[in-house]
Amino acid sequence: MTTAQQKSAHKFNGLWTVFKKEVIDNLRDKRTLTTIAASVVITPIIMIAFIWFAEKTVKEETDPVTATAFELPVIGAEHAPNLMDWLRNNNVSILPAPENAEEVIKSGERRVVMVIKENFPEAFEKAKTAPVLLIHDSSISGLEQLGFVTVKNALRTYSGRIGQLRLEARGINPEITRAIQVNVSDVATPESRNAKIIGMMPYMIIMFIMAGGMYLAIDSTAGEREKGSLESLLTLPITRNHLLIAKLLATAFFSALTLMFMLISLSLSMQYAPVDAFTINLSTPKLLHIFVTCLPFVFVASSMLILLASFTKSYKEAQSYLSFVMLIPSMPLMLLMFLSPEASMANMWVPSLSQALIIVETLKGETIPVHLTALSMAVSLAVSVILASIAIKLYQRERILG
Amino acid sequence: MIKVDNLSKYFGDVKAVDGVSFTAEDGKITGLLGPNGAGKSTTLRMLYTVFKPDSGTASIDGHDIQKNALQVKSNIGVLTHGAGIYERLSARENVRYYGQLHGLGGKALDTRVDELAELLDMQDFLNRRAKGFSQGQKTKVALARALIHSPKNVLLDEPTNGLDIIATRGLRTVISRLKDAGHCVLFSSHIMQEVAALCDEIVIIAGGTVAACGSPARLLSDTGEHSLEDAFVKAIGSEEGLI
Repeated sequence: MTTAQQKSAHKFNGLWTVFKKEVIDNLRDKRTLTTIAASVVITPIIMIAFIWFAEKTVKEETDPVTATAFELPVIGAEHAPNLMDWLRNNNVSILPAPENAEEVIKSGERRVVMVIKENFPEAFEKAKTAPVLLIHDSSISGLEQLGFVTVKNALRTYSGRIGQLRLEARGINPEITRAIQVNVSDVATPESRNAKIIGMMPYMIIMFIMAGGMYLAIDSTAGEREKGSLESLLTLPITRNHLLIAKLLATAFFSALTLMFMLISLSLSMQYAPVDAFTINLSTPKLLHIFVTCLPFVFVASSMLILLASFTKSYKEAQSYLSFVMLIPSMPLMLLMFLSPEASMANMWVPSLSQALIIVETLKGETIPVHLTALSMAVSLAVSVILASIAIKLYQRERILG
Repeated sequence: MIKVDNLSKYFGDVKAVDGVSFTAEDGKITGLLGPNGAGKSTTLRMLYTVFKPDSGTASIDGHDIQKNALQVKSNIGVLTHGAGIYERLSARENVRYYGQLHGLGGKALDTRVDELAELLDMQDFLNRRAKGFSQGQKTKVALARALIHSPKNVLLDEPTNGLDIIATRGLRTVISRLKDAGHCVLFSSHIMQEVAALCDEIVIIAGGTVAACGSPARLLSDTGEHSLEDAFVKAIGSEEGLI
């Protein structure tokens, strides 16, 4: 080996030595291990809880075979026995009339009350429009509305059937009343129907990537300065560039480790989750694809944290900036949640947003064109190089010693 | 050997170090003596390359501190002011880390760590994690890691800070041994007795400049005083900062 080679080998040794030390040091830090453990446990629990809950509600409320009957108090049920039979056949159980219909709705005791006036039989027999009143509270939202929708649909179908029969009795083809027949063909893959639930995954994944390297980044720069070990370290024959790169790589290592464990735990829990209507198949190739395409963001996150830690003077100061720094990559994700944009040249260069789109599409079982994936990876890597070089510049200052 | 030639460092309007020159020779202990804020630490910081001088030069074993910073770093062992060690590493790991960064490794490194542990009386806590170490124990670890690569030149910034009497005596023994082994030892202190007890050469610094320098005997004859303390007061022109 020539002297020059020896020198470069020695320089590389320094980088490797610092990297190893930071990894060992951080492995002994309970906070880092807690973060990784939390990511492994919390992510699948939240995911499965959401899926399980969504599945349960949808099943109970809409599946006529397994669903429990919707309980509908009816005032004046005796006026429309045929309608009552129809409703019973459509999984609605008829309850006796409550004393104060509006009160039971307002108090939330019942969701819908049906009122049939005594003029109903007369109008029905004369083939006039017979009135039925549904009392409900439109301010309740979401799945609670399902009962009202069920009853309304049953009534509409009943009305349609009776109308059809009346037309046929008069020798008119009922199709004359239907100007347009709407047929719907749903092209969504089973996985893509779970888009709502999948939509929150990138947020968690990206937050945990940040959290995974957080303690190491702060501890190894701002923390090291605060404890007075940095000055001593700077007197050793290793350049500040190498010192910072080693710390950056160690930070990225833990971010990547957190990402990997989180994905594996997610994949395993999906296999054994007690749900069957929603399936998210996180196979090994998909897992690897998400891992590799998110790696550039791991470097963006790490260099952001290292940059933060290289201009703050103490652990406390760094932590006070941290909430703001965590906000930056989460802002593009808000966009994703509200607008759900398609992957395109216009958005795939944005770090964190592009990775989020890749995660969502991969989980949905769809693919993003290779050139867009490459764009995401290239821009993220470039951003992390820029952030890291700013951090290196800051590290060259004498003020680094405080 | 450390040669300092007209070194200056300004922080804004403050002349922290203003044209300091002296030489610290091999096989001798040189003390930088001066009140707090005199510029001792800043001078040392320039010598161990974490500060860049505004003017002047200095060299360590012939290597310029600015042009050949990496070679300088390889040839010095530094105990910085209030040096911190890594709490989650054991004392041995702390010392080994510095050894590895100096390019040492394997059995030679372990032997050297054991040697220093014996010299500094560290065996009791050598394999314990550093969290909860006393100030004396921390300083011993910091000193051991500064000496791990047997540096030709040793720079110590207020090394006895926070040490008890026993530990201070231990440190003096270590410094004397380094001298006997032909090392160049440069240490700063604001404690008169400490410097008087150890040093072959004394550089008195006040207000960023060298007020006087030479062997204790020469300082006495130059100032015409009978005690070093009087010589020191006369040199810096006040009793400020004297202990």
